[in-house]
Amino acid sequence: MDELQFRRRIYADPNTRDEDMIAAMNSDPAKQSFTQELESLDSKLFQALNIEVPNGLSDKLILRQTMASHQQQKRKSRVRLTLAASVALVMGLTINFMQFSSAYSNLGDYAIAHIVHEEGHFSNTSAANVSLASLNDKMATFNGSFTDSIGKLMFADYCRFDGMKSLHLVFQGATSIVTVFVVPDNEGLEFIADFSTDKFIGKSQHFKDSNIIVVADKSESLAQWQTAIDKNINWSI
Amino acid sequence: MSAQVSYNMATKQVRYEALVKALHGDLFRYAYWLCHDKHVAEDLVQETFLRAWRALDSLKDEKAAKSWLITILRRENARRFERKRFDMSEYEEATITDTKSTSSEQEIENYWLREKIAQMPEEYREPLVLQIIGGFSGEEIAKQLNLNKNTVMTRLFRARNQLKDALENTPNVRGHYNG
Repeated sequence: MDELQFRRRIYADPNTRDEDMIAAMNSDPAKQSFTQELESLDSKLFQALNIEVPNGLSDKLILRQTMASHQQQKRKSRVRLTLAASVALVMGLTINFMQFSSAYSNLGDYAIAHIVHEEGHFSNTSAANVSLASLNDKMATFNGSFTDSIGKLMFADYCRFDGMKSLHLVFQGATSIVTVFVVPDNEGLEFIADFSTDKFIGKSQHFKDSNIIVVADKSESLAQWQTAIDKNINWSI
Repeated sequence: MSAQVSYNMATKQVRYEALVKALHGDLFRYAYWLCHDKHVAEDLVQETFLRAWRALDSLKDEKAAKSWLITILRRENARRFERKRFDMSEYEEATITDTKSTSSEQEIENYWLREKIAQMPEEYREPLVLQIIGGFSGEEIAKQLNLNKNTVMTRLFRARNQLKDALENTPNVRGHYNG
């Protein structure tokens, strides 16, 4: 290795200890002392380059990161809160909608659902002891009355028919009970004259401000009931 | 899931703090020799570590941490020039941090050397800082600076050559040594 090449390599990296460099140093004391010279230059350079680091810089760096990620966390939790609020609002609206809107689209569906719900509650053999007077008492709410009894009345009371105050009457039929609803006009439910399921059959009649719905087992003759109601009902002004 | 997240956060925090403690000094020195201003250097280091925090998951090998951070810092520094091109002019006046009043021989020599290093062309200074402060090999510096290794070795040779000459030709320092 010639002198120039050796010097160049030592200048470029005084700490180089490749085999050929070590061999060159060992064979030539001048090269050795040149290496030492450059090493001492490097330690001076290190001293000079190794400037003082500001006090507490590392703490500052950690603090700044903590603040930054805290900010980020806060932003994230704000977003989460907003999301949660939106979800709650949507759920609230949905529940509201489900609760206060008609789950049934017409009178018939609702009447059937009502009856299915309380199936077994009434029996055709129960005592029929509601008088015409007490029935008319209740009918007064709907501005109506019956001139004569239309059948053996086992039960007469107000009930909620899709949120509307209605009258629920249960008569004794030929083989099974016959249910009559007196329901004020309701915008939410569509009027339907005839309806049926595989078990029940129903008919509705529209009067001045009310509908009278008759529902019974398929074996009952509903037309007969409707005629009786039609004949006997009076609506006051 | 949230426990997992906070566990990961805690691990990340530990990693980050270890990185800061081990490397902030070298990063600061490197930044200083890039920009010759303590405050700018501090800002650069802060930006660098903030970016490092955000990207910490992408650092797989802790041994590569230093060169990873230096890459981020160099990018930050480049960005600084995109923002303020007139900063270039400040480059000439080297704001050397040491005070002349501390008059030990070593301090005077340091002062002179710092002047000389600051006046050196950046293309010579940067590899030198990476070698001496960063402890990187010629290959690593070449990779970092996107140069080939021979170029880096030539620049290192010239850098030391210049500094050695400057030091030997400084009457002040030389006087101390000869006397």
